Amino acid sequence: MHISEGVLSPAILTGGAALTAIGVGIGLKSVDYEEIPYIGILTAGFFVASIIHLPVGPASVHLILNGMLGLILGWKAFPAILIGLALQALLFQFGGITTLGINTFNMALPAVVCYYLFGWGVKVKSGRLIFIITAFASGCCAVFFAGILVGFSLYLNGEAFLPAAKLLVAAHLPVMLIEGILTATCALFLRKVRPELLEGLYV
Amino acid sequence: MFDCRRLLVYLLFLSIFIFSDIPAFAHKVSIFAWVEGDTVYTQSKFSRGKKTKGAPVIVFDLEGNKLLEGKTDDKGEFSFKIPKKTALKVVLKASMGHMAEWKIPLEEINPPLSSESYGISRQEIKKLIDESLDRKLAPIMNMLADSYEDGPSLTEIISGIGYIFGLVGVAMYFAVRKKKK
Repeated sequence: MHISEGVLSPAILTGGAALTAIGVGIGLKSVDYEEIPYIGILTAGFFVASIIHLPVGPASVHLILNGMLGLILGWKAFPAILIGLALQALLFQFGGITTLGINTFNMALPAVVCYYLFGWGVKVKSGRLIFIITAFASGCCAVFFAGILVGFSLYLNGEAFLPAAKLLVAAHLPVMLIEGILTATCALFLRKVRPELLEGLYV
Repeated sequence: MFDCRRLLVYLLFLSIFIFSDIPAFAHKVSIFAWVEGDTVYTQSKFSRGKKTKGAPVIVFDLEGNKLLEGKTDDKGEFSFKIPKKTALKVVLKASMGHMAEWKIPLEEINPPLSSESYGISRQEIKKLIDESLDRKLAPIMNMLADSYEDGPSLTEIISGIGYIFGLVGVAMYFAVRKKKK
């Protein structure tokens, strides 16, 4: 879901960059030194996830993990995703430097939205079933919303919205499923070994 | 202990995913174009070698005027006759916001020769040499096209992770210093 350089008009690129700057600002405002290692580890996870390709769909399909980042980091997913995408652009030439802003926004906003939508369920106290369902939904919906946002960016650029968004969402259905399962598994694992991460102490 | 083992299993699973060479769909497209005689051949693919099928290819001159348009075939290839003697920019538009381009400088473009030359002229000789060179070089060109852009290497992946840990270190340094004050 990395939009390449030269596809979008400068106005959309600047708009995306401005929105990302706001998100990163909110994210960085409350960072405490204790949580820097967690942000780093999750950034590394996000960075590597994009190399895991899934053999489905007509074009680019790979893991994103923005749902998981959102659950654990909340607004701090913005700086984490920005750094991850910047390194992907520099080292792998995925996306690009000029599209960094809009790409970050498209991936990080769903992460934050999922944190507010489903974060309440992914707590140590909540029942096992609710815990699994909300964690799964978070991983799943973050990818879904990202698809919608990328479709919307292409729409602002003059492409028809529905076909672009439909294609993006359809191609990412397997990713949504896998990310849902992965997010639920990781959240369950964290609940056992590092429950304090899920308690939002760091968010 | 049980948890440690489970984590190991996850990590193993993940690493199999990462380092296995699944011929898969990628998120970056590339196009490679070369000239043979009066025809331009292009080959397009996603990173990791998956061919780009049925994607529109648009040819511009350097001023941005559209010269012609076509679609890649099942092998991700598309070829066209050189429309006019100018440097060309070949742009590939894959779906979902993916785009790639390749520039062909003016020196590589040979205009179609006029058929009015009689005997063996300079131009004729040049044409014969060009033809046999193109034939000889074709396999090498194909090899280059295949090796061009094959997805991120292990070195790049590891260095990226290294960068992130380095940034964590820098961030920690400043955060702790702020706290001490």
